[in-house]
Amino acid sequence: MIRGLWDREMVALLLLAALMPMALVWIWFGGAGAVGRLGLALIVSGAWHLIFMLARAQPPSFAGAITALAVAMLAPEDMGLVRIVLGISFGAVFGELVFGGWGRNVLNPATVTLAFLGFGFPTFAWPDFVLPVAWAAIPAAGLGVLFGVMPFGILAGAALVGGGTALLAGGPDWVVPAAAMVLVLLVADPVASASTALGRWLNGALYAALVLLFASGWEGASPVQLCVAAALLASLAAPLLDDIAIALWTLQRRRRHGGS
Amino acid sequence: MFGRIPGFGLSPVFRSDPFENPVPTGMITEEAAITAPPGDVLRVDLVAPEDSPVAEGAPVARLRNHPEIVLSAPFAGRVARVRLGPGRRLDEIILFRDPGGEVAEWDVAAAASGDAPALVALMQGCGFWPRIRSRPYGRMPASAERPAAIVVMATDSRPLAPDPRLALDGLEEALGRGLAALGRLTDGPVFLCAADGPPPIAPDAAGGARIAHVSPRHPHGLAGFRVHDLCPAAPGRPVWDLHAEDVAQLGVLLATGRLPRTRLVSVAGPALTASRLVRCQLGADLRALSYGLVRPGPHVLMAGSPLDGRRAQWLGTLDRQATIWPQQQEGKPPHWFLAALASSSVPKPVIPTAALQHAVGGAFPAMAMVRALSVGDDETATRLGALSLVEEDLALADYVTGGQAGLGDLLRAMLDRTRTEMAA
Repeated sequence: MIRGLWDREMVALLLLAALMPMALVWIWFGGAGAVGRLGLALIVSGAWHLIFMLARAQPPSFAGAITALAVAMLAPEDMGLVRIVLGISFGAVFGELVFGGWGRNVLNPATVTLAFLGFGFPTFAWPDFVLPVAWAAIPAAGLGVLFGVMPFGILAGAALVGGGTALLAGGPDWVVPAAAMVLVLLVADPVASASTALGRWLNGALYAALVLLFASGWEGASPVQLCVAAALLASLAAPLLDDIAIALWTLQRRRRHGGS
Repeated sequence: MFGRIPGFGLSPVFRSDPFENPVPTGMITEEAAITAPPGDVLRVDLVAPEDSPVAEGAPVARLRNHPEIVLSAPFAGRVARVRLGPGRRLDEIILFRDPGGEVAEWDVAAAASGDAPALVALMQGCGFWPRIRSRPYGRMPASAERPAAIVVMATDSRPLAPDPRLALDGLEEALGRGLAALGRLTDGPVFLCAADGPPPIAPDAAGGARIAHVSPRHPHGLAGFRVHDLCPAAPGRPVWDLHAEDVAQLGVLLATGRLPRTRLVSVAGPALTASRLVRCQLGADLRALSYGLVRPGPHVLMAGSPLDGRRAQWLGTLDRQATIWPQQQEGKPPHWFLAALASSSVPKPVIPTAALQHAVGGAFPAMAMVRALSVGDDETATRLGALSLVEEDLALADYVTGGQAGLGDLLRAMLDRTRTEMAA
């Protein structure tokens, strides 16, 4: 009879709105090159959404634009048209659309794209960012949490582990800008991350721990590369973390109420 | 971190003009109907055939398999029309009112003296039984069922719901008597759930019932969440829930031998020029309740709150709200391409947001429950506490997520599957 606000497309639009500070700063400093990359990613991602709508009656989602933005910002540079189209197609189709579209995917399609490009074509250079783009991750995360579309637990868990290590041991600060951007763009995705309160804290903490591990042990990796790898592994572990959280929750309830 | 979080919950606002009468007025509609609870199947034998006169409270029909359970007339009048489905399933029994008719009385000496079987027989025989809801599955309890606990709701967080304190005004003694009577029906505890503020009854007068305080935000004031929190229901471990007004009326029955058949009902909604608080009989005619208040134009009558209401002409056995909604005009169907952009062959998935977690009051991991229900994983849903819930408990989650997942229907299907499995 009457419907609330938080359907899938509204969440996608709010996520897109939350990412706007970062996207706009990135376009401001990237100029025509950035606009071109973003346009290409949007066209390829949108085309696949359209194909799946016509072939599988899956309505397209604005989440495709989020994927395109993340890929355009984080993908290795100067790869050539064929490779980037191949990468985005692989990520969008096998990361998201074959599962039934955004909301039913297991991994973030942008993470899949970037991992595919990184492992498939390792000779291309990963992008570097000017610091203002990384700073813009903070208002983006703030907006996302304020709208309730970005999981607070993931951001807080990552900040806790990252900040704690920096305070205690003085961690590798050259990785922090890329880690913050990947955290907001890829890890804090509501669908492909853990969905329970405890699971989210663990998910964020795991991501930060992996970034720290790779930063200290992975010789010759660029910051974006190791952050994307950490995001992929943290995302793969999300269902396990959720299961741990639910098992603890059931245990606590069983202790309180008895029975099975 | 993964327990009950008191800050959770929402206060959804629906436009409705203020109440024209802060003090409820009595309103017995000229027609009323006895209907089956939504989703429940009652096979009945008629006691009073069409066109026969009945006294208030007199039996009109009995359950086929349990003739001791009686459906009784909400007012003195005449049975106007009986509509039964295949297999003598009750659809509706419409009655016309006859002012000045008689009121049926029961001999309550045995039940009031503390004899539990006599009390059960009285509750089943006088037509009180359908006012009880048994969880799991959310049905009228079986004839010989003995609950593991009883939850009495003296609070209601549904939008536009009448304040139960108003309904209980002046009935404290009867409420205490009713609670004490319920205590004899179970070996477990009886909980009286009340919102913060002065309790509806002094703790030492509550007949052994424990008073549980409840957050005023929706959905904390729904029986399902209180059952989930206080004493989870499971197969073989049923939990009953009742409204405090009904319990107070049970207390009146035990004192006087007459069961009151009116209840406090709010008539509200955006299609009304003013809202109305009435004391009307069970099964009242929604057209009569909203008469004179409806704005011009087409509208929809719903029994229940704006969140969980369903189109109906009669107030249901468990309803305490009527919502009148303007009818949406059906426009031209959109172009097929635009329709394909918006609608899908399968329901669109629910995205985990803070709003969803609030909509289940932080009582359980919301997304895990949504996923378990969507894929039909009944075991996980059971582990998360789905057996304590019924459709109305997920109505808020359905509302905030745009209703495309149909969580209430998924939960009902899951409960029906579990019930069939347990019966086999």
